[in-house]
Amino acid sequence: MIFEPAVWAQPWMLEAAQWIAFIVIATGLAQTAFYVVLLAYAAAALSSRPPVPRSATQWRRYSDQAPPIAVIAPAFNEELTVVESVRSLLALHYPTFEVLLVNDGSKDRTLERVIDAFGLKRVGRFIDDSVSHATIRGFYANPELPRLLVIDKENGGKADALNAGINAARSSLFCAIDADSILEPDALLRVVRPFIDHPHLTIGVGGTIRIANGCIIDAGRVTKIRLPRNFLALVQIMEYLRAFLMARLALGQIQALTVISGAFGLFSRQRVVEVGGYSHGTVGEDMELVVKLHRHMRDQRLPYRIDFIAEPVCWTECPEDLRVLGRQRSRWQRGALECFAKHKDMCFNPRYGRIGFVGFGQVLLVDVIGPLVEVLGYILVPLLWAFELLALPWLLAFIAATFTFGIFVSALTLILEEAQLRRFPQARELAVLALIAVVENLGYRQLSNFWRLKGWWQFLRREQGWGAMSRKGFGGASV
Amino acid sequence: MALWNLSLFLCAVALGALVLILLARVLDERQEARRQGERRRLSPLLLGGVTDISVPPQGKVEQDAAAHVTLEMAELVRGPERQAVLANAERIGIPDILHQRSRSRNVQQRLLAAEALAMFPDHAPRVHELLRDPNPSVRLGAALALAQNQAAPPAAELVHGLGLGTRERSLLVASLMSDLVDVDPAAVIALLKDPGVSDAAKLAAMDALASSGLLEHAPLMAEMAQSAAGDLELLPRLYHALGRIGHPSGHSAILRGLADPAWQVRAAAAQAAGLNGLLEAAGRLGELLGDERWWVRFRAGEALWRLGPRGRDTLERVALAGPALARDAAKRTLEERTDA
Repeated sequence: MIFEPAVWAQPWMLEAAQWIAFIVIATGLAQTAFYVVLLAYAAAALSSRPPVPRSATQWRRYSDQAPPIAVIAPAFNEELTVVESVRSLLALHYPTFEVLLVNDGSKDRTLERVIDAFGLKRVGRFIDDSVSHATIRGFYANPELPRLLVIDKENGGKADALNAGINAARSSLFCAIDADSILEPDALLRVVRPFIDHPHLTIGVGGTIRIANGCIIDAGRVTKIRLPRNFLALVQIMEYLRAFLMARLALGQIQALTVISGAFGLFSRQRVVEVGGYSHGTVGEDMELVVKLHRHMRDQRLPYRIDFIAEPVCWTECPEDLRVLGRQRSRWQRGALECFAKHKDMCFNPRYGRIGFVGFGQVLLVDVIGPLVEVLGYILVPLLWAFELLALPWLLAFIAATFTFGIFVSALTLILEEAQLRRFPQARELAVLALIAVVENLGYRQLSNFWRLKGWWQFLRREQGWGAMSRKGFGGASV
Repeated sequence: MALWNLSLFLCAVALGALVLILLARVLDERQEARRQGERRRLSPLLLGGVTDISVPPQGKVEQDAAAHVTLEMAELVRGPERQAVLANAERIGIPDILHQRSRSRNVQQRLLAAEALAMFPDHAPRVHELLRDPNPSVRLGAALALAQNQAAPPAAELVHGLGLGTRERSLLVASLMSDLVDVDPAAVIALLKDPGVSDAAKLAAMDALASSGLLEHAPLMAEMAQSAAGDLELLPRLYHALGRIGHPSGHSAILRGLADPAWQVRAAAAQAAGLNGLLEAAGRLGELLGDERWWVRFRAGEALWRLGPRGRDTLERVALAGPALARDAAKRTLEERTDA
């Protein structure tokens, strides 16, 4: 194939065009290669420690030695769902646990609803003051429900509420969750497994979050798994599969995990206290905590593990409209960038070993450079080809790097899911997701990168705040 | 162009594999009826509701269902009912199916097979072989299953063979020790005196002995607490064990622990003092209400409350006239305990 450049093109223009295309394609290929390596590690993780299929088996094996856990659930303006959420938490299957509901200065009747529903009374509680948080206004409990403590405090944000919960916790482990998420009944028993297998090493464990949109939910439990009908929710199921089943499971296996989702994470209380708890003033407090733990343990030269388990432990409702989803994705991008900027000295720093090279390398490639280069590619590569500054093979290589390899990675993730976990009950659902794995690369992927670019812009302007996250709630079947 | 062609080729291969997996799933869904049918056939048979001699599960799907349903039932029932389930399972050849599964490449299959086979006394030798499985979870699972069914090798052999406390640090080692204590406590006590056994394994053995309530181990633990000075992993667990046993021979060790330089030890000793009702510790516990570490203050407050009137008197006295930190700890402990 002979390339005839535009007659007006200067040699430097052709050279510059080729360099731009080369950078975009090389970044895309590096991402794909990294994903394929992650998939191999995820497969290894699943075969060396496959999920236990039955709760009864899980209970028989681990309940005798399962350490006590404090479940910390921050709640802000959740009067509609808080009572059902607490009921669902109190019904968890775990030998010894305490639910600490932290009312983070809600402006609605969240506190009153819980007090009324559970017959709570104001009580005293002698708590630690190791990590900082806004003033606590009071504690509420009912002697007949010894597993529940409600902490009422002034508003300070999610990180601040979690810190109050950490101070009030009396277990060596605490589990941070979102009050509006739904936990599997055996979630704690599943996620505690690394703490049982490696008690002297494990300091944090994350578990898989699944999307509840479309599922049948009854009394705070997912009773039937179904796919949603909303296209955006379907696409997010594929995204969560890639994020949790591929990336986090593999990074956990490599011991380079940089994020444990704020919706569900189990931590050693002592280690978290040592790093000062959750950081204030960031929207990526979950990622920041994990990075701080890595830094602390590496600085102290202490052996440790931060793990991830493939079993689904928590269900969450994902946004179904573009505006809310865009805001969420921009915020996630901003959180990753804030954390990267704050700890940039760890990146490729031999002192931090694999977390510096693999963990931060992934953040740099996927979160920092990735969206910038890809959006640049969407705009420039087709334009340069249209203006006859680039030959067709460059354009095809770009399409390969951003579209066909994307489909390849998604298909491999689905294959891994089906071969090892089989979490979708029917073949039809798997077929729908296979279709989504192809379609998402045509339009949605580009949109998602645009939102991430917006997150970049917000980061540069040092914008703060979470933005409103409207939810339909888990009151009934959400279709 | 090569890159483009490669991407198309890989994409086609991956999508092709996905189609194959989908077809496999469709076939599997069709087998579901057979699987359910076999479960329905076997359930009453295993529970002893059907007395006629039944045909063993034939196809792979049926055998799979049979193994699953046997395990589920064995997990659900206890005592004579469980023995009946196992006898019926043996009658229809379930152990042979489990033997096959114990050689599966899938780790979970092997582990489940080990746990199930250990329930059949005649098949314990195969579970003994699984103590040398390449996967640590299978090895430990096999040991636990054998110990639960009183078929485990001697404690020392297990400790050395599985590397308990060295290569294998799972908390399940404590469960294993508990089961071993039930059968042969002397063999577990011997571990405590064996210089070749790691501290972590000794700790698990001690926890098991403490939970068993066999009081004669307390002097040995008190002795160990003295010789383990400075060991921050060992000492707190020793004090927890002494707290659980509650034997007077551990009291002097607990009193010493209240003055240990390490806060983890002071906190564990304070808790043990409360559990033992150690009245002579009341004064020192009152001082610990002003400790720089919250865990020590908290445990001291709890222990004082457990000591009864004398401890509460100490709490009230400190709440009125102690140093600021101690006063706050005493006041909050009293508030919390009074509300409880």
